[in-house]
Amino acid sequence: MAVIEVNDLVKTYGRLPVVNEVSFSVEQGEIFGILGPNGAGKTTTVECAEGLRRPDSGSIRVLGLDPVRDGRELSHQVGVQLQESLLPENIKVWEALDLYASFYRAPKDWRELLEEWGLADKRQARFATLSGGQKQRLFIALALVGDPKVAFLDELTTGLDPAARRVTWELIKRIRTGGVTVVLVSHYMDEVEELCDRVAVFDRGRIVALDTPSNLISAVDADQHLRFRPLAPFDDALLMGLPGVVSVTRSGDRVIVTGRGDFAGAVTSALARGHVPVAELRVGRHTLDDAFVALTGRAFGTQETR
Amino acid sequence: MTGFSKLAKVESKLLLRDPSAIFSMAVPLFILVIFSGGTSPGDTALPSMSMTIAVGLVGLYMVPTTLATYRERGILRRLSTTPVSPGALLSVQLILQLVFALLASAVLVTVSVVIFQAALPARAVAMVTAFLLGTSAIFAVGLLIAATAASGRAANGIGVLLYFPLAFLGGLMQPKEAMPELLATIGEFTPLGLFRQAVHDAWSGAATQPLLLAIMAVYALLIGLVAARFFRWE
Repeated sequence: MAVIEVNDLVKTYGRLPVVNEVSFSVEQGEIFGILGPNGAGKTTTVECAEGLRRPDSGSIRVLGLDPVRDGRELSHQVGVQLQESLLPENIKVWEALDLYASFYRAPKDWRELLEEWGLADKRQARFATLSGGQKQRLFIALALVGDPKVAFLDELTTGLDPAARRVTWELIKRIRTGGVTVVLVSHYMDEVEELCDRVAVFDRGRIVALDTPSNLISAVDADQHLRFRPLAPFDDALLMGLPGVVSVTRSGDRVIVTGRGDFAGAVTSALARGHVPVAELRVGRHTLDDAFVALTGRAFGTQETR
Repeated sequence: MTGFSKLAKVESKLLLRDPSAIFSMAVPLFILVIFSGGTSPGDTALPSMSMTIAVGLVGLYMVPTTLATYRERGILRRLSTTPVSPGALLSVQLILQLVFALLASAVLVTVSVVIFQAALPARAVAMVTAFLLGTSAIFAVGLLIAATAASGRAANGIGVLLYFPLAFLGGLMQPKEAMPELLATIGEFTPLGLFRQAVHDAWSGAATQPLLLAIMAVYALLIGLVAARFFRWE
């Protein structure tokens, strides 16, 4: 069952279309990634689904509701963590949770959320004194306190150190285990690769690809390299005839095999059959970064001005 | 507890934790204590001035800073994704600041009367009317600052910059009799000048000047409408 359906969404600021005929749907219980560089239209799309912005054209249904017309009803059923949204400096952790819980018809017990999100010992701490990771955990807890069916999380781990990001990832997986559909906006490839069931790749206001992370990566039709140092001499012909292998070159004591598809397995088994032991075997694995370059013809880090 | 009353409860805690609340209470009290040595028993001019300072600080300093900070920190925007609207937070804040201004004024009246032998306010109804209309006019100016300032820090700066000339013109830095005639006349029609005069009239028992009350009402309405028209939620 589709929890979110977006059809031909268009949002223009001035004359510049920020979101241009975007369509996708999110299924119940999945972690759906919205990936793209800054200014690609990710946040605007999600803000339309949250009811914060009114689309210029196209339709959006979240849990069967129109975010603009049925905003009040929808707000009871979705949880939101906004990019660049803070709390008052002097509010205490428990006060924020208690306050937000009071907004909803059927809130969760915020004391349990406090435990679950590792904030129990920060209960009396003021917002200004929390670390970046603690603030983000509080924001997630606030997004979940209304017991939502869908959670929108926007640039959740920006500014966190690697350890805090890992912790946050584990917590997001836990949200899904609880049956909540998660929409995750991110410009981090590794994050999306780690967490998402499916990803919509945004570029310049459009979706350029929508698939599982592993399909997106394997769809990258480019040569890959396998490097190793042979410990016994062998003839290049041993490898040249293998399926997928394009070329075999030598550089000093290194051998570089270029190929496509699943050629690496064929190469290693042929070497084993030919009794050629190898050392320092490295496979250049494709990542979502490569997928993005292949899809857009640009490196991911290239920033666009809005 | 429903969202609205919980909001009021949490916001009042935050208000009391804000150092500017202590500042807004302490400054007029300090002025009252320092200058009361030079007044004779039964005086109502200095107490009226101190009360105007209190309401001026709340309206021009606390109201805009709080609201613009809430916008800057994305708190108003975050609220609009919940079942409670950011308008509710705005209303709660204005009511709380009004209550705070009222409490500060009550403290100042009590201290003036009990400790410094000021006269009891002669006409209570006129005093409350002057307070409500004047506070509304001053809050409207604060709301306009909040509506247009780019950030909490900017709102704070504009509020402070505006407070001093308005306090001077309103006769809070020196008695208006000691001011150049032109400035004193202009000052009579500024929000703080109107408030001080109207409160002083009611406190001392002088005849109510309906014109002053009317101008304050017009200020509250017009400036309030402009502020509402230009208020940015994000």
